[in-house]
Amino acid sequence: MANPRPHLFVLGLNHRSAPVEVRERLAFNNGTLEPALRRLVDSEVVREGTIISTCNRVEIVTCTPDLAIANEQVRTFLANEQRIARPLFEDHLYSLVGKDAVRHLFRVAASLDSLVVGEPQILGQVKDAYTVASSLGTLGEVLHRFFHKTFAVAKRVRSETQIAARAVSVSSAAVELARRIFDRLGDKTAMVIGAGEMGELAVRHLQNHGIGNILVTNRTYSRAVELAREFNGTVVPFEQLHKQLRLTDIVIGSAGGNDYLLRPEAVEEALRERRRRPMFFIDLGVPRNFDPHLNDLDNVFLYDIDDLQQVIEENKDEREREAKKAEAIVAEEVETFWHWFSGLEVTPTIVALRERAETIRRRELAKTLASLKDLPPHAQKAMDTLSAAMMNKLLHPQIAYLKNVGRSNEAGGTVDLATLRRIFGLDEENDE
Amino acid sequence: MEVVLLKIALLFYLLSTGAFLLPLLSTRAVPRAIGPGLLLAAFLSHAGAIAVRSLAVGYIAVTNSHEAVSFFACLIAGLCLLVQMRTSLTLLGAVVSPIGFIMTLGAFVFYTQVRDLPPILQSAWMPIHVTFALLGNAVFGLAFSASLLYLVQEKQLKSKKGRSLFLRLPSLETLDELNYRSLSWGFPLLTLGILTGAAWAEYAWGQFWVWEPRLLLSVLTWVLYAFLLHYRTAGWRGRRAAALTIVCFAVLFISFLGVRFLPGRHGGQFG
Repeated sequence: MANPRPHLFVLGLNHRSAPVEVRERLAFNNGTLEPALRRLVDSEVVREGTIISTCNRVEIVTCTPDLAIANEQVRTFLANEQRIARPLFEDHLYSLVGKDAVRHLFRVAASLDSLVVGEPQILGQVKDAYTVASSLGTLGEVLHRFFHKTFAVAKRVRSETQIAARAVSVSSAAVELARRIFDRLGDKTAMVIGAGEMGELAVRHLQNHGIGNILVTNRTYSRAVELAREFNGTVVPFEQLHKQLRLTDIVIGSAGGNDYLLRPEAVEEALRERRRRPMFFIDLGVPRNFDPHLNDLDNVFLYDIDDLQQVIEENKDEREREAKKAEAIVAEEVETFWHWFSGLEVTPTIVALRERAETIRRRELAKTLASLKDLPPHAQKAMDTLSAAMMNKLLHPQIAYLKNVGRSNEAGGTVDLATLRRIFGLDEENDE
Repeated sequence: MEVVLLKIALLFYLLSTGAFLLPLLSTRAVPRAIGPGLLLAAFLSHAGAIAVRSLAVGYIAVTNSHEAVSFFACLIAGLCLLVQMRTSLTLLGAVVSPIGFIMTLGAFVFYTQVRDLPPILQSAWMPIHVTFALLGNAVFGLAFSASLLYLVQEKQLKSKKGRSLFLRLPSLETLDELNYRSLSWGFPLLTLGILTGAAWAEYAWGQFWVWEPRLLLSVLTWVLYAFLLHYRTAGWRGRRAAALTIVCFAVLFISFLGVRFLPGRHGGQFG
């Protein structure tokens, strides 16, 4: 008898279902993941699977013929592997079966289930989990296909929505703005004034995006030297701040103190010297470092911490809107995948039905033709066509019904495939 | 055939305008290649229409208002595609597509049947003069489009609002560079257009200059662009340069339409 269709099954916990104390105890690391995965699939019931483990989630994705036992086994597996009593984490688990499991993994990989919706790391983490499982050989046909589909969905979400396009932290918002002003950052110079932590983050971000030069200045010279070494930048003595301004495209204010460090007159002078090439001022200081009137100068763009915060808020709204579109894509893809997956159960039966009919037809046709030796070839051909057409017409409703049942039926089982196979004699050894 | 192709071009200009502007109105994502693809289709059918007409008459079809407007629009579309291919300035099409649409529509309004050329236009100077002038116009059209986008982006950045805009506008630096490069190409072309026009006038009328509004406007346009280019070279950039580019193009456009609507020999002969 053919195998019944397996069940897709996900057991896991994430940042919403479990506090960090629980997540950290259940997380696998590079060293523990592989041996654990080998032990996970070492069972009759759980034959294939993978483990996705990040700081925000632990998910065990499996494919099993028996849900109840698999559920039990995976729970015990987690308890044993991580040496933690089951009652300590079981309340935080979610278990998802069939379509729900499909939707869940699609949403996870598309970063819809993330703490920061749209963050890009999760897809890479899911891919890593897949690669590990794949190289250990713990994935069967269904899970292979499931993961490939998952990556395709994530890619589709990434390309058809703007879910990850907008910055949601102060420093990335600053870089995003800089890129709306400047085409290339490689030939640009940024100057950071002061030693605030936010300024440091902003500089790091600019460096990640390939900023050409970093100038560092500080009221305390030694601190400036220290920072410059950290950023691999150049020290500017604080008194020369105004002089260096004309060389600077991006100015980051991150200093303490109650006085404005820069006023419009000084910037206007710098602008004249630099032939009015645009300047971007990022004021991260509270109280503010730069006179707000700088923004009134032509080709000068000034953003203070509140402006950046506002940009972030709008970006978050944007992500929410995009997430809705992404959910629609996921829903659509779940249906496509389910269509394939639910065909799995009935496919062997349909194939067997067709094969059996074809065998009978050929045998009977050969017998008849053998007794009618002088039949002209075109008549022989006509008999062949006739018998094939009869068989197809006869089988059509059964096959259509099977296909239909397969699709509409979620967890497998209102059509009794075993009975059906007996009625059509599909499992008998070649009779006659 | 020519008219059919022109109608197809008109339709594609409309479609590409829609594809570029749709993301402004709704949150539906339009795949990136669609706008440029439609604009390419518009350009190809438009160029086809001009080629068919030119073959039918046996000279480059730039001898009357219909032909000139049509040629101008087609050149802008072609240049825009060229820039889009070489840079990331895809959004330029958002300005160029509607320009293409409106001008092609104008070409239909001015439509005239193919006719024999009056003797004055049967000169080797004619295609040279008109081609230079129109090429210059088209390059200035690009500068205008870039400046329009510049002002929108600049306004958004200054006011710290407008983040709801779905379109990703190019950076100010990119737009400013395109403005400068277009101006430095357009100005020599415009100059050549005027000089070849003068040469033709000398040859046809025996005098290189006549006092008529159309020519005065041309000279005014030239002076304005000379002024703009001079200040740009001296380091003027950004918002003011963009604004002045837009003013210059407006004057240029009036002067271009003046060929038809202003009194004078230019218009009379050109019709």
